[in-house]
Amino acid sequence: MSADDLEDALTRRTQNAPPELLSRSFFFACAALSIATTIGLVVLLTGEAAKFFSFSAALVGVTGETATVVEFLTGTTWEVTSGKFGVLALVTSTLMVMIGSSLIALPLGVGTAIYLSEYASPRLRSLLKPGLEILAGIPTVVYGFFAIIYITPALQPFVPGLGTFNMLSACIVVGIMIIPMVASISEDAMSAVPEELRQAGYGMGATKFEVSTGIVVPASLSGIFSSFILALSRAIGETMAVTIAAGSQAKFLNPFNPGSYTEAAQPMTAAMVELVGGDITGGGIAYRSVFAIGFTLFVITLVMNIVSDLVAQHYREEY
Amino acid sequence: MDGNDRERVRTRRQVLAGAGALGATALAGCSRNTYPDNDASTGLSGTVDIAGSSTVFPIATAFAEIFGKNHKDVGFNLQSTGSGGGFANHFCPGRTDFNNASRPIREPEQNQCAANGVEPVELVVATDALTVIVNDNADWIDRVTVEELATIWSEEESPETWNEVNDDWPDEDIELFGPSDASGTYDYFIEAILHSGDEKLSHRQDYSGTEQDRTILQGVEGSEFAMGYLGYAYYSENTDVVRGVPVDDGDGEPVEPSLANARSGEYSPLTRPLFTYPKLSALAEEHVAEFARFWIENTTNGDIIADEIGYVPLDQETKQEQMETLEAAIVEAQQ
Amino acid sequence: MATQNDSTAAGGFGRVSRTAGTVFRYLLLAATLFGLVVMTILLVYVANDAFQPLTADTGWHLTYLATLLAPALAVGAYLYRANVEALQTGALAVGLLVVSLLFSGGAALLLVDVVAPLELFAVAVAVLAPMAVVVAVVSRDRALSFTVQFATTTAAFYVSLFGLPGPIGSLLDLPLVVPSLVDVVLYAPYAPDPWLAVTLVVGGPVALAGSRFVAADRGRQTEATVAAAVLVGIALGALVGPLLGVDSMPATVVAAVGIAPPAVYAAGVGVNREHERLGLLLPAVVIAGTGVGVLATDALGFAGPDSWVTWAFLTSPHSRFAEQAGFYPAIAGSIMLMLAVAVLAFPVGVGAAVYLEEYAPENRFKRVVDVNISNLAGVPSVVYGLLGLGIFVTYLGRSAGTILVGGATLGLLILPIVIISAREAIRSVPQDVRNASYGMGATRWQTVKNVVLPRSFSGILTGTILALGRAIGETAPLIMIGAPNVKFAAPTALGEAASAMPLQVYAWSSLYAGEEFYQKVVPAGVVVLVVILLAMNSVAIVLRNKYQTGE
Repeated sequence: MSADDLEDALTRRTQNAPPELLSRSFFFACAALSIATTIGLVVLLTGEAAKFFSFSAALVGVTGETATVVEFLTGTTWEVTSGKFGVLALVTSTLMVMIGSSLIALPLGVGTAIYLSEYASPRLRSLLKPGLEILAGIPTVVYGFFAIIYITPALQPFVPGLGTFNMLSACIVVGIMIIPMVASISEDAMSAVPEELRQAGYGMGATKFEVSTGIVVPASLSGIFSSFILALSRAIGETMAVTIAAGSQAKFLNPFNPGSYTEAAQPMTAAMVELVGGDITGGGIAYRSVFAIGFTLFVITLVMNIVSDLVAQHYREEY
Repeated sequence: MDGNDRERVRTRRQVLAGAGALGATALAGCSRNTYPDNDASTGLSGTVDIAGSSTVFPIATAFAEIFGKNHKDVGFNLQSTGSGGGFANHFCPGRTDFNNASRPIREPEQNQCAANGVEPVELVVATDALTVIVNDNADWIDRVTVEELATIWSEEESPETWNEVNDDWPDEDIELFGPSDASGTYDYFIEAILHSGDEKLSHRQDYSGTEQDRTILQGVEGSEFAMGYLGYAYYSENTDVVRGVPVDDGDGEPVEPSLANARSGEYSPLTRPLFTYPKLSALAEEHVAEFARFWIENTTNGDIIADEIGYVPLDQETKQEQMETLEAAIVEAQQ
Repeated sequence: MATQNDSTAAGGFGRVSRTAGTVFRYLLLAATLFGLVVMTILLVYVANDAFQPLTADTGWHLTYLATLLAPALAVGAYLYRANVEALQTGALAVGLLVVSLLFSGGAALLLVDVVAPLELFAVAVAVLAPMAVVVAVVSRDRALSFTVQFATTTAAFYVSLFGLPGPIGSLLDLPLVVPSLVDVVLYAPYAPDPWLAVTLVVGGPVALAGSRFVAADRGRQTEATVAAAVLVGIALGALVGPLLGVDSMPATVVAAVGIAPPAVYAAGVGVNREHERLGLLLPAVVIAGTGVGVLATDALGFAGPDSWVTWAFLTSPHSRFAEQAGFYPAIAGSIMLMLAVAVLAFPVGVGAAVYLEEYAPENRFKRVVDVNISNLAGVPSVVYGLLGLGIFVTYLGRSAGTILVGGATLGLLILPIVIISAREAIRSVPQDVRNASYGMGATRWQTVKNVVLPRSFSGILTGTILALGRAIGETAPLIMIGAPNVKFAAPTALGEAASAMPLQVYAWSSLYAGEEFYQKVVPAGVVVLVVILLAMNSVAIVLRNKYQTGE
């Protein structure tokens, strides 16, 4: 009998007594609230985004300026006042944040995880783990502030053409911000690798280096990959650090060209904050464009989370 | 029975001791109850919600601070949203009591307000010298004409490098920083510069637009070939890192941005009035009306407006006009 | 083991090079330390900008070095050699002192500006009185059915807090029949002075918990004596305060929240744990050293640093002059927001976690909920701000930027995090314990109430504190719901607009022209924010360590 069946059998008799019913309903309501939140989010974002796009605005019965889906998804200029709503300009900047921060966070995060799980003594571990948690706990405004006050001036002598607002500082601080996420989830995955596998490696004469890189890392690969995706979706959603450090000019840049990182740009989240500063309520296409961007962002992070779940499930090694 | 008796005595003693302690505490610590004691406060109370232009924001905040010190029960909520943003999203929907603006209210906004039953009262509070700034080290530029400004900032021309505009200027990429389109400063710049010629040009969009003037300063400070424009107050606090460019309005004489030149009218066309729009229904409330009176009363106060903040105070005549408008509005509201 | 020896010439294998491994090890260490080192450097920079330690007299530095730093280090080193556990206890005591003082500041803020002590007293009385009804009802458990018990209890609380017919009646325009106990106390002819009200309401729980801790197994009487002693000590704060130039009521609050808990902890350790008693030397040295240092620098006339984080900064409102600008409304706003978030998110989050772990059958619905929650945890904070904007401000029409709206939005933001950590904590309770409870005939609710929740409580608490720490630092959702950039006074009601610490720092760093704002007040604000966050995180970490090793 599974644990659940056993519990059910033992509690069946009293299941419908008033205190049981009351408590169960209360807890159910709490759980239902989380579903309600998602439904609320989806309804709100879809509803407002529907008013933004031309094809759906007619359905919802909204008049006024709208943008077409094609223009939104393929346009490379984002200029709200002149009616240009090409989200690609914002998406490429977000992509830049993702790439830049992952270059920093992924190697350092996995390195930290390997060190903590394989090499560090328990005492060192008990010091470093809280340290990482504190790193994760520092607010993003503070990171943004650090980027623009300390990091950009420190980098300017070394990197030619680095303006006051640039993507490089933003990527650096976002990278540092997500290291703890990568490290802790990867480390959990590595700790789950059974000791027998490591011992088998040692028994065959492998060095610690060979065991760590050849046995532990491949065995926990699904967890590491999961941590990558989660950390990247956090990087994409990062708002204040990039708003403060990267400026407010929406540009269509090539994320794979290192030169673009010295320029100022505006990722999706920063664009939302800027738009809201000028245009919170009321109708108007600018207000709706905030929801259109929000909708895009939500879809992207949702897809990334689902992919991470699927990968983790598919490739997870059950020990 | 002995133990029980002793226990009972001990317990009785404890009860007496406890009661005595309680009584003593009550006597020492309780007194006549005057709750709620602070309510009948002499003076005004209430909240004042202000939103709108980032240019006028320092003025509103300064006066809110001073007024609040003298009237502790009046609370202020201030937001810097840009003139247009303030009208569209806070004032006309009826959420705020004052909207600050660095340009006059426009017809669509008037209509929106009317549709919501909000009546704005136009009050002038100061004069600004909109300043064009460049980096302190930008030796290549020492003056600019209105025509050149129009060319630089227009959508139609959108020059990429400086020497496309003026041969004497270097062949370097143009970097521009300025207010975003929710800002009254943006609207005023279009009116004064881009619409000044025969053709009504539109404002180019490939610049760094923001509601936060500090961002404009930082941007220009960071690059030798950058240009920006913003309100004089923000420029005057940072003359050590950016430079205001003298503007030639067509008569061949470039005029430096300064309070004196703005006051005399020589610094044209970038001298502009700054406004605040209280809503009529809010003036029915005593604390809002008093604050409005206080503000207009101090529009000639050079110490605060010119020295501390950096705009041109009104002259006595204009202030008198504003006071009359305000008083009439208050009378109408409080009927 | 083959990997431990430096060279393995074990027949036939030849020499195995260790270089790659050692290089790898040091690379990994560097990778681990990179983030921490960069962050430490940045924090040092900010602290330097905020506190300006280099502007103090050398004499000032030397004095504190001699009275505080050197003795503390010496004692610390001695304890490390002699008795590590004692050192840990001592360090814990010092940490507890610092954190308690921080929180007492926040509590004092609430009681000075937001809630009158008499109001707090009235509510406390109105909550305790129905407890007598609850006790009476529960003691007759067998005679009365659950429904009757539940109804009586609810009625007692309702009448006590709201009166008859209360808010339901005012909706229906019914006249007042019985005033609530709250109103009775508030408008009684005689009432306790503020300091007494604080001593009883705030000091009471501290005294009760403390007496339990100190008296341990020594019996009721000792507990009562200790509790009385703690209360008297706190009340003394009302006398001592005015001597130091502080009003009696805030002094009592500081005594109750800031000084009593560490003192009780130290007393408890001293009396009960002989082994670790020596550790108390550390907090004693720290306190004595600070005191002597203050007196010495005063007497010798050394000037302290020209710090931007001053008492004035922490207690004044914003000003257009950078030198006079203060952080007070932002701190008050953050505290009120956190309370709103905690009240909204904690019960709902724990309730959802309990449902998912204890009650929900393993079916597709549950899997959907699982995936749903982990997705929600990954949604950017900006999108939650949109949710708050769209639902609370636009759809429900509440005013923008109020504590209620901000608290609800931030609450939704951290709800998934609370649920996930609560689930982890509940999951860690072994199944055997539950089965044992069921085997004795307990119902599901009884098992949850008596077995699962008590055992997982510390884990849940840790997770909630970390989530609150995340919420306190969030700016984007507050911007989206229209919180004001500048406020001059602390918010006093739930429907009032509120600023918050990160929002104020953001406003200062982007809206003010003068460079001084940027260089002086912003670092000060950042430092205060980081200190509060560090305090919250350390509480969570210490809690987790204690209960993990304790179990």
